[in-house]
Amino acid sequence: MKNTITLATAAALMLTTAMTSAQAADLRVSWWGGDARHAATQQALEVCGDIHGHNISPEFTGFDGHLERLTTQLAGRTSPDLMQVNWPWLPLFSPDGTGLADLNEFSDIIDLSQWDQALLDTGMRNGALNGLPVSITGRVLFYNADTYAEAGVEPPATWDDMIAAAETFKSELGDSYFPFSASRYNAMLLVSLYATQQTGVGFIDPETNEVNWDQATLAEAINFYQSLVDAGAIKSWETDAAMGNPGLHERGDWAAGEIGSSYEWDTTVSQIAGPWGEDHPLIPVMPPRVEGAVSDGIFRKPSMMFAISASSPNQEAAAEILNCLMLEEEGVRIMESHRGIPAAASAVALLEQEGLIDANVKAANDLVLAADTPPASPYFEDPAVRTAFEGVLEEYAYGLLSAEDAAAEIIRGTEQALRRVQ
Amino acid sequence: MGGEKQWVGLAYVAPYVIGLLVFTAIPFGASFYLSFTDYPLLSAPIWVGLQNYIELIFHDRTFHRALQVTMTYVFITVPLKLTFALAIAYVLNYKLKFIGFFRTAYYVPSILGGSVAIAVLWRYIFADIGLVNMIITGLGFEAINFFGDPRYALFTITLLRVWQFGSAMVIFLAALQSIPAHVYEAAAIDGANKAQTFFFITLPLITPVIFFNLILQMVEAFQEFNGPFIITDGTGAPLRSTYLVPLYIYDKAFRQFDMGYASAIAWILFAIIMVLTLIAFWSSRHWVYYAGDKRS
Repeated sequence: MKNTITLATAAALMLTTAMTSAQAADLRVSWWGGDARHAATQQALEVCGDIHGHNISPEFTGFDGHLERLTTQLAGRTSPDLMQVNWPWLPLFSPDGTGLADLNEFSDIIDLSQWDQALLDTGMRNGALNGLPVSITGRVLFYNADTYAEAGVEPPATWDDMIAAAETFKSELGDSYFPFSASRYNAMLLVSLYATQQTGVGFIDPETNEVNWDQATLAEAINFYQSLVDAGAIKSWETDAAMGNPGLHERGDWAAGEIGSSYEWDTTVSQIAGPWGEDHPLIPVMPPRVEGAVSDGIFRKPSMMFAISASSPNQEAAAEILNCLMLEEEGVRIMESHRGIPAAASAVALLEQEGLIDANVKAANDLVLAADTPPASPYFEDPAVRTAFEGVLEEYAYGLLSAEDAAAEIIRGTEQALRRVQ
Repeated sequence: MGGEKQWVGLAYVAPYVIGLLVFTAIPFGASFYLSFTDYPLLSAPIWVGLQNYIELIFHDRTFHRALQVTMTYVFITVPLKLTFALAIAYVLNYKLKFIGFFRTAYYVPSILGGSVAIAVLWRYIFADIGLVNMIITGLGFEAINFFGDPRYALFTITLLRVWQFGSAMVIFLAALQSIPAHVYEAAAIDGANKAQTFFFITLPLITPVIFFNLILQMVEAFQEFNGPFIITDGTGAPLRSTYLVPLYIYDKAFRQFDMGYASAIAWILFAIIMVLTLIAFWSSRHWVYYAGDKRS
């Protein structure tokens, strides 16, 4: 009898454990990033796998080509169980909320109360929580303190200051010096920044998914881009392209300090500071404002998300690993701020308490969080929208279109792209 | 052959046949079907009939531009590459010291040529402060904006393709070596100089190989992707002056997830290659000479 009771108790315990914890599973986890993120995530996955008894295969790449790879995997129903996705990809992967698992169903495993509801809403598609935000990111101005000091110029507070700085740069440092840099995607973001500062709304309304700006507003912003080129504040599109379009940190003029500042993601400071190493001269500040600006206008968005595949047979196990990476002390300590300052309250508290947050990233992220800027639409970075915007802006920069025609063409192309992706 | 032996034979060819079906024939047929659909990759294809083709042929300015760039690229690259390959093969056909080494050395670019690393290297060589501009400015000329000026951008990717002349060169070299020595001896006795020997003996005798290389290089040039994709970050910049049709197919398929439209572009490209190949075959009756040919 005694044996029977012991067996029954053991069986009940096993059953309880099975109900609250997923069975040992073979999981695939994918992400993109640089070497530091790769090393930290692999280590964290090893630790989290040991804690929860799952065998994890990591799959990691750089950012280029990751969208194409993941989309093909999702289409072939061979996507990893747990994956890092970019926020603008959610509408592509899950237009109606069923393309990825609904994380609300795992709220007994993942403590969702650690996120602000507004932030959680950015991962919702049609009522389903498809992506859990890892952090919030945004663009700020990183200026080269050494170059500006050499020119005897303060970091510009207004765009007029930036234009004035261009003249001083040329006279004090030489014709090869520019106080700012914006070409290709950064030129598109510059135009967007200017128009958002003027209007207080982003290019695409996140509620209605319609273009917010009229032709005149966009034309004025495009003309503003050209005014910076004409004043020598930035290189022309054509001159900039002569370098062969390398990344900012790979550019000779950036490394030589000839470029005074650039409008970059807050989390990229360690990458763009590459030429100088740890003792770099880059300082994050809020970008200059246009006179009469109604907002700071910076581009702010959830930087990336973790999502669970809708076709995964091990969704609970994936949820356990997700929780471990983002909320459990062992995972959070190893992941540090390799994906930006964590959005989960308990994670950021732990990292701050233990001094594990990169001071550079924190300084830039504080600016992003404090900025007065309208919510962005995930469609702003949709490949078709980007092609419509950037391609036409290039034609304008080469003098093939007037600002008015370019504005009309961008709006027309964007509306067409939005109709298709929706 | 019958019975068991027949099955053994079939077993031997089965891997190839299965591979051909799974990786070539079925995708080939599927893409033809998909070209008549709206297929956003992550949801089921919807039949749209000829809509993709009508849009492409009559309305799509980007496609027209890409096609124009591709045609220019092919018509510059193929003759240039064949001429270059033949010239090098001709030199390497001489009995020189260390000729084996030179033949290997000239073939190396073909092995490396299409690789990602070489395309990246190309980007640095032709950059504003790259090797080529250092030489140009060193000679007292103004630097050329190879990547920013639409007049020169296509030149860089053309040169990248021409640089990969090794495989065509090896085929030419084999053809040159197959020409019997007595033909040249007869020409020499008749008093033919080197230019006459080349144009009236060598060239006519290797026309089948020129024709083979022409078709091969033309088909490959129409499918060029790696070089321009890496050098321009896939944008075909500046102003789409290097935007070849395969880049547009990739953009539509994997960046905009419009698989149906991308398939339609691929089939139009296939049709163009097919027509040009048929024209080449038709024209070959007038300039290609085979052994035993009545005209020979």
